[in-house]
Amino acid sequence: MKLTDYEKKMLAGEEGKLKQVAMEKIVKYAETLGAEELCIVTKATIFCGAHHYLNAVESDDFDEVFSEMYMSSSEKLVLDTVSKECFCQTDVAPCDRYQWKNLKQSKTLFEKNRSYIKRAQDAGIHIAESCTPYLIGWIPLRGEHFVTAESHVVLMCNSIWSACGNSDGIEAAFWSGICARTPKWGNHIMENRKGTHVFELSCKSETPFDWDLIGYTIGRKLPAHAIPVISGNFERPDIIRLKQCFAAMGTTSGAEICHIVGITPEAPTLKEALGAKEPEGIIQITQENIDDSMKMLCDEGASSIEFVSLGCPHYTLQEISEAAAYMDGRKIKESVRFFIWTNYAIKKMADENGYTDIIRKAGGDIYTSSCPLVAGADCHAGVNGMALDGAKQVHYIRSETDAKVFYGDMYQCIDAAVSGRWGE
Amino acid sequence: MDKKTTLLKGRPVIKGIAEGEALVCPESIQGWAGIDDETGVIIEKGHSQEGVSIKDRILVLPCSKGSNGWSSHFHSAKVKGITPAGWLFSKMDSRTGVAAVVIDIPAVADFEDTDPVEAIKTGDWVKVDANRGIVEVLHK
Repeated sequence: MKLTDYEKKMLAGEEGKLKQVAMEKIVKYAETLGAEELCIVTKATIFCGAHHYLNAVESDDFDEVFSEMYMSSSEKLVLDTVSKECFCQTDVAPCDRYQWKNLKQSKTLFEKNRSYIKRAQDAGIHIAESCTPYLIGWIPLRGEHFVTAESHVVLMCNSIWSACGNSDGIEAAFWSGICARTPKWGNHIMENRKGTHVFELSCKSETPFDWDLIGYTIGRKLPAHAIPVISGNFERPDIIRLKQCFAAMGTTSGAEICHIVGITPEAPTLKEALGAKEPEGIIQITQENIDDSMKMLCDEGASSIEFVSLGCPHYTLQEISEAAAYMDGRKIKESVRFFIWTNYAIKKMADENGYTDIIRKAGGDIYTSSCPLVAGADCHAGVNGMALDGAKQVHYIRSETDAKVFYGDMYQCIDAAVSGRWGE
Repeated sequence: MDKKTTLLKGRPVIKGIAEGEALVCPESIQGWAGIDDETGVIIEKGHSQEGVSIKDRILVLPCSKGSNGWSSHFHSAKVKGITPAGWLFSKMDSRTGVAAVVIDIPAVADFEDTDPVEAIKTGDWVKVDANRGIVEVLHK
C-alpha cells in the first residue's frame, strides 16, 4: 500500500487515537478491495443519530455504541473530532428535528437522538439531517472525492456532477470523515466509470413518478457490477426526476453511476458513455416492463388509508409547492396522518412561502430529518393501509408492515388522504 | 458413494479457515430490510431464501445491492453473535468490501474462471481456505 507521509503519521497514531483507528480501517478496506493507494475525501454525509440498528449494542453510552458500531473497535474510543480536510454533515436521523408525538415515538428516543446528533456536531459534523444533501449545497464537483451513507447520493454525484464516490457503507463513511481518506478504487478512477449495458427506453418518461418506475425497473434488470447507460426515446429529465430515478435504481441494484445520453456529463454521446467499446448488453425498457414494476410495488385491491407519506427521497421546495397547490382548500380525513418529508432548511423555505400553513390547514404537516423507514415501524404500526409516493420507501417498508401498501404519485396519495381510501 | 467435489480459486480477502453449509443468493441480499438485525434471518420480501438465517453458513453472493447500510445490518447481527461462517463474493464491490472488514470472517472474492454463485448450490458443504483463496465444494 502506497501511503503519503501524513497518512503514515495518522497510521502511527501521531494524529491521535481516533484517526489512527480510522486509518487502520481504511487501509484494511483498501487491501480488501485490492486498492494500491488512497485518495483525499473532501465531502462526507454521515449516518448520525440514535438509529434503531444501533440497539444491538445494549447501551445508551454514545462512545460505546460509536466504538462498536461505527469504528468496529472493541476498545472504547471517543468521537472527539472529524477531519478538517473533509466537510462532514449528517444524513437522516430516526426522528424529526422538532416533534415526536405524531410519529408515535417516545420523548426518550427523541432526546436520545438529539444527544447523539449533538455529539456528532461537537466533533465537527454539521447538522443537515438530509438524504438529499445536494439540494442544500453539499455538491462535490467533477473529480472531487466524496463519501456518503446514502445510496442514491452516490448515483447522483457520480452521474450528474461527475464527482467520484463508491457505495462503501455507514462505517466507512465515518472512517473517511475522520481521516479524510478512502481507497482509490472503483469510481474514484475515471477509466472505471464507462457504461457496460445500454437501456433503451420506449416507456413513458414524462413525470417524476414515471422516472421513479424507470429507475426501479432498470435496477431490476441490471446485471451484477454492470454500469447502465440510458438511451432511446425519453423526455428530458430534471433533477427531481433523476432524484426519483436514482433512489429507485439504488434500491433494486448496486448501481453507483448511471449515464444518460445527452444529459449527464460523461455521456455526451452513447459512444463516449461506453468508452468506444461495444456494450456487454442492450436491454429494452418497455411500458410492459414498467407495468410489471407497478404490480410489484402497489398492492391490489382496496383499503382504508390511515397513513400517507410523501417525500422519498426528501422533497424539494418545488415538490412542496406543487403538493400545497393541490391541497389548498381541501381537507384530509381525520383518521389519516399525512406527512411530507424534507430537510429543515427547505422546511423553513416552505414556512416562509406559506406552503406549511396550507398543508397544516388541510390537516397534514411537513416533517424533517427522517422518513417512515428510518423512523421505524412504530410510526405506522396498526394502520390498515398506507399510501406512499416513492418506490424506494414502498419497496423497503414491506419488510416492516403487514398493512396494505399502495404506491402512487403525489396527487393520487393526496386524494387518498382526503378520501381515507385507496381503490373502490 | 463418493460425493463430487469442485475446487474454486479466488483472491484471499479476509484470511482464515471456515467451513459450513452453502447459502447461495444469486440475487444478493438487499442492504436495507435484507437481514433481521437481531436474528440474521433474511427478511427481504420475495427473496429466494426468505426466512433462512445466515448463521454459520457459507454465504455465496455475486455482489451487494441496495442501501449503503449494507454492512451495518450484518454488523448488528454480529454484535448479537450471528455471522456467517465465511463468505464468497463472485466479484468484490465497495459495499461487500466494507462488510468484509467489519464482519471479519474468512472471505474470498474475485474468482477466476468459475463463478461460485453458479458452481455452488445451497446445501453443498463448502470448505474455505481464505489464506490461499481456495474453496472446496462438496456437492450434496
